Amino acid sequence: MAVSLRESVQQVSDPRNLDASVEEVFHMMLGVNCERATAVGPQVPESVTAVVGFGGLLSGACVFRSGGPAAMKIAACMTGMEFAEIDDTVKDGIGEICNMLAGAWKGKVPELAANCGLSVPAVITGRDYNLHVQAPEFQLHHIYAFDGETFEVTIVCDGLQ
Amino acid sequence: MSEIRTLIVDDSSVMRKIVERALRQAGLDPMIVHEAGSGTEGLDLLKAKQVDLILSDINMPSMDGLEFLRQIKLQNLAPGVPVVMITTESSEEHVKQAIQAGAQGYIRKPFTAEQVKERVLPLVHAA
Repeated sequence: MAVSLRESVQQVSDPRNLDASVEEVFHMMLGVNCERATAVGPQVPESVTAVVGFGGLLSGACVFRSGGPAAMKIAACMTGMEFAEIDDTVKDGIGEICNMLAGAWKGKVPELAANCGLSVPAVITGRDYNLHVQAPEFQLHHIYAFDGETFEVTIVCDGLQ
Repeated sequence: MSEIRTLIVDDSSVMRKIVERALRQAGLDPMIVHEAGSGTEGLDLLKAKQVDLILSDINMPSMDGLEFLRQIKLQNLAPGVPVVMITTESSEEHVKQAIQAGAQGYIRKPFTAEQVKERVLPLVHAA
């Protein structure tokens, strides 16, 4: 019998799965606790965005976005190094965080874990840009705070089989 | 314990460092670490160096971890050397594929140093 996610769409789009995934990744890989926040921190000149695509039963993407200082703090927690700029190591670290968030999130639903692949992460840095997806099937967008910094995680689903 | 020669294959340099740190925390110290950013680089390293342990990501560009494993077996590059996959993919199907390709262990990202210790150390001691 063909596997379908249509009947478990509520489970797939359950916002608690995203919260649990963020908590798990940050606690296990960075040793810090995160909590949901209602607004992002003050505007910073440069932001970092990592994107990991989903393909298979679900198509879409997991998008991580933070300001430069938060990205550098995350990379510092991961590596034990200090960063003064968004260099390749910071971008690499943020890409991996996004990859683990995508993997942890899809792992919460067994049909998704088995039938949805992940792309390698793409990382974008810059200022004044927005992510726009036309009429997604569903979208989760959460803001989290840790250690005085904030970051955003978005799950965009643009196709579900 | 004599130096454990370890090959870590992951396209993320940050993740390679994290895996190395977790292995040292698990007690694999002293250890000589060789790093590769892809399966292709990993194969080249195995042709030039002898190792006692291999840890590899699955989802990598150019040659993924499963193909890397198959090529190790096909080319008989590291006979008897335990291979542990470290990956974000967590389904039973992915674990099965990795075991069929020749992996002895499987660790899901994110992971703790304790999980690395539990899954890697017995393989090293048994090899």
